[in-house]
Amino acid sequence: MTNVLLYAVHLFLFPGLLFIVVMGLLLAGIDRKLVARMQNRVGASILQPWYDFLKCCGKETIIPRHARKGLFLGAPVACFVILISAALFIPVFGGLSMSFEGDVVVILYLLTAAGVAIIVGSAASGSPFAGVGLSREMVAMISYELPFVLVLLAVGALCGQDSAYGVTFSMDEIVRWQTENGSSLLHPAMIPAAIAMLFVIPCEIGMHPFDIAEAETEISEGTLTEYSGAPLGVFKLCHCVKMYVMTALFCALFLGGLSTGILLVDALLEVVFCIIVTFLCMTVPHAICARFKVEQVFKFYWTFVSALALISLLLVWIMR
Amino acid sequence: MSEFISNFPILAIMSLFLGAFITSLLGRKNAVVRNVIVFISMALALIMMLALIKPVFIEGKVIGYWLGNWAPVADWAIGIGLEVDALSLFFGLIITVAVFVSGTYSFTYMSHDDSLVNYYTLFLMLSGSVLGLVLSGDLFNMFVMIEIMTFTAVALTAFRNTYEGALEGALKYLVVGALGSSSVLIGTALIYSQLHTLNLAQITALLTNDQNIVTGIAFAFLFIGFGTKAFLFPFHPLAADAHAVAPASISLMISGVLTKCGVYGIIRLVYCLYQNIDRPFVQYLVTAFGAVSMFICVTMAFNQHNFKRLLAFHSISQVGYVITAVGLGTSLGLASGLYHAMNHTIFKGLLFLTAGAVQHMTGSLDLDELGGLSKKMPRTCILFLIGAASISGLPPFNGFGSKWMIYQAAFEKSSQTGNVFFLVVCVTALITSVLTLASFVKVAQSVFFGQLNPKFENTKEVPLAMRIPMWILAILCIVTGIFPGSVANKLLMPAVNAATNTRAYVSAMMGEAYAAAHQVVHAGAADVQLIGVYSPMSWMLLLLSITSAVCLVAVLGSPEKKKLEPVVGANVPNGPMTPGSIPVTSQSREADERELITDDLDPKYESFFSGEHAEYSQVGGSDLFWGFKKNWRHYFSFMHEWHSGILNDYALYGACSLALTLLLCVLFL
Repeated sequence: MTNVLLYAVHLFLFPGLLFIVVMGLLLAGIDRKLVARMQNRVGASILQPWYDFLKCCGKETIIPRHARKGLFLGAPVACFVILISAALFIPVFGGLSMSFEGDVVVILYLLTAAGVAIIVGSAASGSPFAGVGLSREMVAMISYELPFVLVLLAVGALCGQDSAYGVTFSMDEIVRWQTENGSSLLHPAMIPAAIAMLFVIPCEIGMHPFDIAEAETEISEGTLTEYSGAPLGVFKLCHCVKMYVMTALFCALFLGGLSTGILLVDALLEVVFCIIVTFLCMTVPHAICARFKVEQVFKFYWTFVSALALISLLLVWIMR
Repeated sequence: MSEFISNFPILAIMSLFLGAFITSLLGRKNAVVRNVIVFISMALALIMMLALIKPVFIEGKVIGYWLGNWAPVADWAIGIGLEVDALSLFFGLIITVAVFVSGTYSFTYMSHDDSLVNYYTLFLMLSGSVLGLVLSGDLFNMFVMIEIMTFTAVALTAFRNTYEGALEGALKYLVVGALGSSSVLIGTALIYSQLHTLNLAQITALLTNDQNIVTGIAFAFLFIGFGTKAFLFPFHPLAADAHAVAPASISLMISGVLTKCGVYGIIRLVYCLYQNIDRPFVQYLVTAFGAVSMFICVTMAFNQHNFKRLLAFHSISQVGYVITAVGLGTSLGLASGLYHAMNHTIFKGLLFLTAGAVQHMTGSLDLDELGGLSKKMPRTCILFLIGAASISGLPPFNGFGSKWMIYQAAFEKSSQTGNVFFLVVCVTALITSVLTLASFVKVAQSVFFGQLNPKFENTKEVPLAMRIPMWILAILCIVTGIFPGSVANKLLMPAVNAATNTRAYVSAMMGEAYAAAHQVVHAGAADVQLIGVYSPMSWMLLLLSITSAVCLVAVLGSPEKKKLEPVVGANVPNGPMTPGSIPVTSQSREADERELITDDLDPKYESFFSGEHAEYSQVGGSDLFWGFKKNWRHYFSFMHEWHSGILNDYALYGACSLALTLLLCVLFL
């Protein structure tokens, strides 16, 4: 009975549903505020994402005539649920027991699946704008996938070097290695990979300089064109949750093993690091860059960012 | 009983071949009689393969059968033998299930065509020959079966000879296929000249300690021969030409069954006959062929305009995954390769059948022309999405399970050998997967979503008789995806052990003493360790509980408001207010009024554009990913020139690859 209760607490309160959603909304709010301050504006309240979400939920949901209703309404929910389950595979600081066992490839594919849910939803809306948006979303996905994979392999090769097979995909194994040998960010070979990961995060989330799929001014929100009301709110929420998932993944991959052993302090540390990562990889580019073109995004990720990740991977290979 | 069960392999092959002859004799007059004969012979073959599961998979026996009771005399096998170990049976099961599904689908799908007796005769002969190939214990017999398989497949490719390119596709397949078959024949002849036997078990025993340059050359010929049957690079353009014009049920056979014969041949060759998979050269050779096929074909698939042609390239790309995994030479690699081979038959079969359904109902396969069919064919759309999710490797479908194992196998191999080559293979496999996803997004968008072409306004859903075979495959997709552990323990590990345990294979046919005399290695049971963690059941539980929680919150969170608003234009014009529902806003009332005015076909009120008909702008399938294609334009233009469509070129590529492999084998083997 206690097991079930504990499972439920982990699933729904901490580090589950509630914590993830609160963290996501918090990060989004802080990001908005910081961007505004950097651009010398006052900016909206940190609670603005909450208001946005609640307001969306109170609005009417319009389903276009050309839409395939089931898929159109199911996609946001699927996207949200998949993201939450992906977040549960990512260990919170020192809290291996609180997360569910998973590995980096599963997380990678769950993030892809969440992207596919957006694509299916927008395709089901039947709008040509959504059609353009989803093709861009897919190109963005191809773009960041290569460096992302290389980063994951580099971390797997570093943290698995003491195990029986010399490499690992397991998230637990990665965190355990870092607990024993210090965070992987301290390892000189991993610095390029960490930088590459910082570039991957905003594209994966679709943050401003890389938000080619949702370019408001060009293709009127692309994938989200036809969405309104609660489904739109859920998609906005997914966006926020993704911010937490990706920053937490960064913390687990590069800053793991910094546990103090006290749950509350660990959770606070997680929050602080997530905010720092958010600031570095999302706020700064958002405040200083204009949106990239589609083909520029692809080129940037497959040359510059991939090269960084590849350097790390090769360094790990040589140094072990 | 155990005596009787050893007759099952030959009976299964016979039931298919006899079915072919009886169909052509009795099926001319009556379609029902013909279909019943076809159904019975397919079902018999399937049942006999299923009956063999218990002795072969569970009890671990190897079933040998000598045709006409021509048992070996003084340790020389002169008769034709059938030998069924777990590896053969694994492929036998894949084949009979695929044949069964394809045949039942054909009953409705082919109903518009004439001279169907020829179709079913050829179909059953094709099925019988592929089954014979994997169950055969004799190298020359394998060649005979390959010949029957190639010629029936060629005839079936050109069955709808009114289609543009049907004869061309068949001719290409015939010529280059013949190149492959001759290559197998030469390999067989060389082996016979060296070892004076054709029996696989005896060849295995004799080759254990005695390999010379001639057997090395024979290896190159056999490898390329089987590679041709699997349509590996550089033979992949044929598959595309053949698939695009063949009926969908035959595309299923070619992609799901014929390529598997090539895979089976390669596994038998490197793991069993030559037992040289431990040598780095063979690993590089096999893995490189696989990885190159995997990557080139997925990029080729990107640019296709024809639904089935696109699927054809993906088919080779997925077979590339299988060959890559097989070439790694580890137990995990072989297990993941076999798993992916099985999954590929299931999901690619499903995709070809949905393509066939679209073709059956609309008469078109052009990605630039189709669109918006999800409203007209909702069930086919769902089936397609299941297949697409599987092939793109999205959890929890089966494609994810096997690809995940392949990545692990490649990554682990790179760490064990300290070799960057296998790391590159691992990254290529991961990238290929996302490109696969991209091209299926393209298909989904340009066939099922997007705007409906007015031409296909009257399209209907396919009949139930065609949906049932598709559902069988779709359910298999999900089941094998959710229970990878059981699949691995029950099916994959016995097959892996059978492939590596050559001692058992030789002793079953030639006797234990013979195997011992030739020092055939006795491999223990393989031990597969994963470097990652993925348990679909617990993940599904996780997903389910979160979904229910989210739905609960959604329901509780909107007490005074219905979750789904009245849908604009969905036959809910200002109906009576139910208590608790909010009043319809002026906006939606306006929309409803407009709904009443508009005629569906009046471009003035098309939803998305200002009203000019010229602005009907479905984004064509081939324009979807220009952001990606622009950066790769040099690569694509090179590929465009390279896939010239000229038969001479393709034959030349084949000959070149054969020459190169020969050279490498002479130098390094």
